[in-house]
Amino acid sequence: MIRKILLTTLALSAAQLLLCAVQVFALPVPPAVDLPQAEIIRLGERIFRDGILPSGDPMPAFIRGDVEIDSSAFSCSSCHLRAGLGSLEGGVVTPPTNGSKLYKPYRRPPSLDDTHDHAGRYLYAKTIVERPAYNREKLAIAMRFGVDPAGQIFNDVMPRYPLSDRDMSVLTGYLEILSSNFSPGASVSAFRFATIITDDVSAEDRQALLEPLRKFIDQKNQQLATYEDFIKFGYKPTVDMKYAFNRAELDIWELKGPPETWQGQLAAYNSKNPVFAVLSGISNGEWRPIHDFCEAERIPCLYPITDLPVISETDWYTFYFNKGYAQEGEATARYLNHVKMLPVNTPILQIVQETLVGKALASGFNNSWQELQRQPVTTMTLSAQQLQDRGTLAALFKKHKPGVLLLWTDAALVPRLSKLTKLLPATGLIFISSGYMGKKTAAIAETLRSRVYITYPYRLTPFVGSKDGGFDAKVPLLMGAKDFGDRRIISRSTTMLKQATLRGLNLLYDNLYRDHLLDIMSTQMDLIVRDYERFSFGPGQRYASKGCYIIQLGHGSDPPLLPRSEWVIL
Amino acid sequence: MKRLFRICGILFLSALMTVPLIISPAQAESPKYKRSVEKYTIPDVVLTNQDGKKVRLESLLNGDTPVVLDFIYGTCTTICPVLSAGFVNLQNKAGAANQNVRLVSITIDPENDTPKVLKEYLKRYRAKADWDFLTGSRADINTVMRAFNAYIPDKMSHYPLNMIRSPKDGTWVRLFGIMGSREFWDEYQSVAKK
Repeated sequence: MIRKILLTTLALSAAQLLLCAVQVFALPVPPAVDLPQAEIIRLGERIFRDGILPSGDPMPAFIRGDVEIDSSAFSCSSCHLRAGLGSLEGGVVTPPTNGSKLYKPYRRPPSLDDTHDHAGRYLYAKTIVERPAYNREKLAIAMRFGVDPAGQIFNDVMPRYPLSDRDMSVLTGYLEILSSNFSPGASVSAFRFATIITDDVSAEDRQALLEPLRKFIDQKNQQLATYEDFIKFGYKPTVDMKYAFNRAELDIWELKGPPETWQGQLAAYNSKNPVFAVLSGISNGEWRPIHDFCEAERIPCLYPITDLPVISETDWYTFYFNKGYAQEGEATARYLNHVKMLPVNTPILQIVQETLVGKALASGFNNSWQELQRQPVTTMTLSAQQLQDRGTLAALFKKHKPGVLLLWTDAALVPRLSKLTKLLPATGLIFISSGYMGKKTAAIAETLRSRVYITYPYRLTPFVGSKDGGFDAKVPLLMGAKDFGDRRIISRSTTMLKQATLRGLNLLYDNLYRDHLLDIMSTQMDLIVRDYERFSFGPGQRYASKGCYIIQLGHGSDPPLLPRSEWVIL
Repeated sequence: MKRLFRICGILFLSALMTVPLIISPAQAESPKYKRSVEKYTIPDVVLTNQDGKKVRLESLLNGDTPVVLDFIYGTCTTICPVLSAGFVNLQNKAGAANQNVRLVSITIDPENDTPKVLKEYLKRYRAKADWDFLTGSRADINTVMRAFNAYIPDKMSHYPLNMIRSPKDGTWVRLFGIMGSREFWDEYQSVAKK
């Protein structure tokens, strides 16, 4: 017993000494004032986002005292997200880590591993964690040893970082700058948005885009008016309610002339009236100039109507519905990779119409085919004129004898498809794009339909989603060959506004930062939406719908669509 | 510096945990993982691994060595990196002890997690051989999650869970929560040396 008391006393003394040592060891943290702000941002951002120290080495880190992790795989922004405002994932509440929040007292809601009652439920009132404001010294202790200013130990998922004083200063300096000023186009009372329309868009498509957007803006302003009436009559809003209603304005950024002049036009618009985010937009051409502008200016661009998006695994600021035509090409590659009846060395010929669409389809196919470690296929890029020349295709078919023909062309070939197919080997398969061929696909002869496979990136199962998306099950879906090529502008824009964007805006509260909006939107739960089988999200994911069916046509002039693959093909 | 930090960190945290007078008593308790021994029927599904190869789950898990299983996804922010760091450490400890440890991760985000994403994830964690990361159709993934009493309707609400299968009797040690590498290693050894 005496031995036990002695040991306990010894442990107590050792711990107290250790605590003192830690405090001494952690002090003082030199302020990061000896570096220009741009340098703090550059170096601090690298630590925060990539887990790379100014020396170029990965930032060492430990979980639960002894699990060493590599911060290049698990950086600060993994959990605190890019804007530093934190996240809620897997039951773990990750608190904000930007200076303006760190240097004020904070109350955190219950999180994983908090105290439970006997039934295993969280005791909300007892597990709200309050801490006083940090200062630089306390922040250094927190990062090195996982203890907050009130002496509370962090959740086990928060690593401890043995940073040098210098590296700590850089990171602290960065956190002080991070999400410190509201983004342009946002104030506590108003948001300014824009949408973008290029001059190749028809009046009908333009109207289809603007109708739901204007309705969305009107609804937001109407809600604000109602809320202000409540205030006039003495309603006392909660803190959250104060930020729930904002005035909204929508600018229309019209782009004229060649794409290489678009960035200049966009810069002029944004300089005159900066916007918080671009809502949708539409173009018949490549979205790249607009994508690049938004990326450079760090402006969120939310779900533009384009089938020619930029395919990137690292770009941040544009959210797309899907990868457009490239996704159809990818689906074809993955489908072919698993077709059992196809002999291994079956010659594949890819005919690409010399257009942006044809090239996007081929690019999607080629990239996926390469990923699957398959040998490159023969690709011939032909103009519309060459495609109409009877001898050209015949000669190609005779030469290559393709067991699989990828026909990335528009519908001009449909009337000749029967004759052309006779030039293929008897078991030859043909793949086409429903979007590119359009509604004329239904004219493909019935005798050919068993050999023709069609990419189809939209929903095939009944939509039973909620009315939150602006639709209910009574609205007929566009699910026939006669609807191929329909851009679904109104339905997709409404989905984007009501199911994805509005949720993001509602959760901003007083954190009016563009990066935070993207963080929130990318960590929302999956959505069942009208035009696609599923929208799925995740940090860094920028293409919400990942699926594309391979289908065949059934019988008749309005043929049923027969799925030949899963929605997502692996 | 790293070594000093590691020693200091372990001592410091141990001290904090054993000295409730120094810090807030409500927060001093070290969270413990929950352990149970379960029996599961492995469903007959074929999944796809990081190399794009089809893998019958049953044959992968029903081997004659212990298997450690978890459910994660490629773009996960908070829980999965911690679980995967645990896998890496387990591999390292096993390597040092001349033991083979079989690790299997199954994605809960099959829409996004193509074999390419899975492969890059494993590369990011410098995974060694014998760590497979599997994807499949949503229906099959749901079937697997249900079979292991680990169904997660949406990936954003998943939880930290590891399971270790004993080749002797086919039982699974189910470990709910975040573990230190020592605890994880001890749990693994308790199954391996059964």
